Amino acid sequence: MGSPSLILTALSLLLCCSSAVAAEGVLFSSLKPTLSITASFKKGQALVAGEDTITVSWSLNQTLAGNTDASYKTVKVKLCYAPVSQTDRGWRKTKDNLGKDKTCQFTITTGPYPAKAPKSGGPFTWTVERDIPTATYFVRAYAFDASGKEVAYGQTTDTEKSTNLFEVKGISGRHASIDIAAACFSAFSVVSLTGFFVAEKRRRTSSK
Amino acid sequence: MDIEGAGEPGSSMHGVTGRESTFAFSVHSPAVPTDATAKFSLPVDSEHKAKVFKLFSFGNPHMRTFHLSWISFFTTFVSTFAAAPLVPIIRDNLNLTKADIGNAGIASVSGSIFSRLVMGAVCDLIGPRYGCAFLVMFSAPTVFCMSLISDAAGFITVRFMIGFSLATFVSCQYWMSTMFNGKIIGLVNGTAAGWGNMGGGATQLLMPLLYDIIRKFGSTPFIAWRIAFFIPGCMHIVMGILVLTLGQDLPDGNVGALHKKGDVAKDKFSKILWNAVTNYRTWVFVLLYGYSMGVELTTDNVIAEYFYDRFDLNLRTSGIIAACFGMSNLVARPAGGLLSDIGARRFGMRARLWNLWILQTLGGAFCVWLGRSESLPISVFAMIGFSLFAQAACGATFGVIPFVSRRSLGIISGLTGAGGNFGAGLTQLLFFTSSKHSTGTGLSLMGVMIMACTLPVTVVHFPQWGSMFFGPSKDVEKSTEEFYYGSEWSADEREKGLHQMSLRFAENSRSERGRRVMSAPTPPNVTPTHV
Repeated sequence: MGSPSLILTALSLLLCCSSAVAAEGVLFSSLKPTLSITASFKKGQALVAGEDTITVSWSLNQTLAGNTDASYKTVKVKLCYAPVSQTDRGWRKTKDNLGKDKTCQFTITTGPYPAKAPKSGGPFTWTVERDIPTATYFVRAYAFDASGKEVAYGQTTDTEKSTNLFEVKGISGRHASIDIAAACFSAFSVVSLTGFFVAEKRRRTSSK
Repeated sequence: MDIEGAGEPGSSMHGVTGRESTFAFSVHSPAVPTDATAKFSLPVDSEHKAKVFKLFSFGNPHMRTFHLSWISFFTTFVSTFAAAPLVPIIRDNLNLTKADIGNAGIASVSGSIFSRLVMGAVCDLIGPRYGCAFLVMFSAPTVFCMSLISDAAGFITVRFMIGFSLATFVSCQYWMSTMFNGKIIGLVNGTAAGWGNMGGGATQLLMPLLYDIIRKFGSTPFIAWRIAFFIPGCMHIVMGILVLTLGQDLPDGNVGALHKKGDVAKDKFSKILWNAVTNYRTWVFVLLYGYSMGVELTTDNVIAEYFYDRFDLNLRTSGIIAACFGMSNLVARPAGGLLSDIGARRFGMRARLWNLWILQTLGGAFCVWLGRSESLPISVFAMIGFSLFAQAACGATFGVIPFVSRRSLGIISGLTGAGGNFGAGLTQLLFFTSSKHSTGTGLSLMGVMIMACTLPVTVVHFPQWGSMFFGPSKDVEKSTEEFYYGSEWSADEREKGLHQMSLRFAENSRSERGRRVMSAPTPPNVTPTHV
């Protein structure tokens, strides 16, 4: 029967997947904001997904960092949800444990941390992709050490995440061809049923 | 066998005498003679209803009807729950909040409360073949509408409209009862219902698979999910056409040929309804079914998203796990009824009630565990336990329902079914719509509520058979099946002899005494019990 084999498949799949689940992670509160990052984009209206761009550049804040940047190996710049887009949406929740945190779900760019001065990166120009949903965002950069653990960060907004936020307008997903196809299929369904019903009724009355 | 007037309320379950084991595969009793002159691929009775349930045959018209019927029901389950595994994508495209998703889930199960009540009348008017085809083909446009929505209001509205198509349950059961003899109708209907419910599981596999395939062709996520909905929509059209071209209402032809026997008195709808509504057992089972079938529907709506979010799985994997929940209907629902029958052979109705309580409470316990477990393997194990026990409880419920009333059987079945959907909407509203607690906590709370709402089965008492904790009534008059089923009719009606069918049912239901039936005096005109 279908059920036991499905159970076996599921069990074997999750045995593979359970190893992929990140259980531990660095705490965000333990990171220092030693990177300063700037993002420039078209101001005034929401950025249109698929068309508008964001230009980011980051640099090391020497006064804050001191010599701690010896462990930095890679820098990842991410697009993060602002609190207004997180309310009533538990799948975007901010958690201190970075292994479980869902604030920053999209990567803008990744690059190596320069070993020598100037300790900066960019400017990178990134087109807002077509799978970015309609929401309010800010930009954050994480510095990773050699083992892939976060060691520092920097963001375009303040600690309360209330300033310098920007909006993105995602694609609607609708397309004229989909609309037309849906209309045609629906019409076919209704018309063929009605036609069948009428034809059969006529056949019945004519045969009586 | 009598042909009861096909327009009577309750006629969708007519033929269920209560004496046969609810899940027999074929009719052996000599009381049902085979019509040797009929030229069908299966042996039939005098009404040309099949006496044998040959699962892997497609013979016209009986088994063909069975397959057309359950696959149509399966298709509507697929389209009603098609949005659930894709919610992680849809919620970003339409900017949904948790409340929007919850409301859409409630909407998806609420529509069919009304459509199921209307469907019985529709089948009476135009026959089950057109009833099924009309519903399936008129709901196809609603499935295609999913591709056109762009906000939360649209999402909720379309899920509500698609939900109407779940009324194919009624056309399915009605159609089965015109094609299969009453002694095997329990198994046939139970199998059709269980396999149809599997659609809620199959869709969790199908939709992410379609989504992935469409993405591989280069589509972005927010377009791919819309295209994926064309498949359930086309399934509706295909099944509608198959039902129209290959199906027929009755073994001998279509409903235009239906004739009613003049000497069977038609019962008044208001009396039947009153009888159903004033029997407290009806409401106990309405509540119970809300917490076996209802929670199954709610879980179909939330489980894929739960695994996606809590364990960071991708869409396909969470869909596969979620599918295991719905697919265990293949065996779990019939198994619940079978356990009910096996218990009843020895201990009668009391065993059926205990069986139901044990299965449903265990389901609730596994649900609590599911919500609380932090590791993926344990979660999946708890989910499978929950699904097996909850679905078995659904089957066990319909092992008891035929005995609650003979006069109002159809309405009580309909009310119970509606209670299932109502329970689904209620649990989704209470536990999965507000952001106050996580989905995991919601599942655990739902488990606690299942266990609490199963307790009322302890008060269900049949004077002739007893209840979970008490034996049958000691009163000589009240402890007969004839008294219980006869008292559904007023003294006037009994004088006119309107309750004859109920008396016959009462005789047949003596098997619900369990082993004690051996010591009861056998009335002279009762056929021997075959199991």
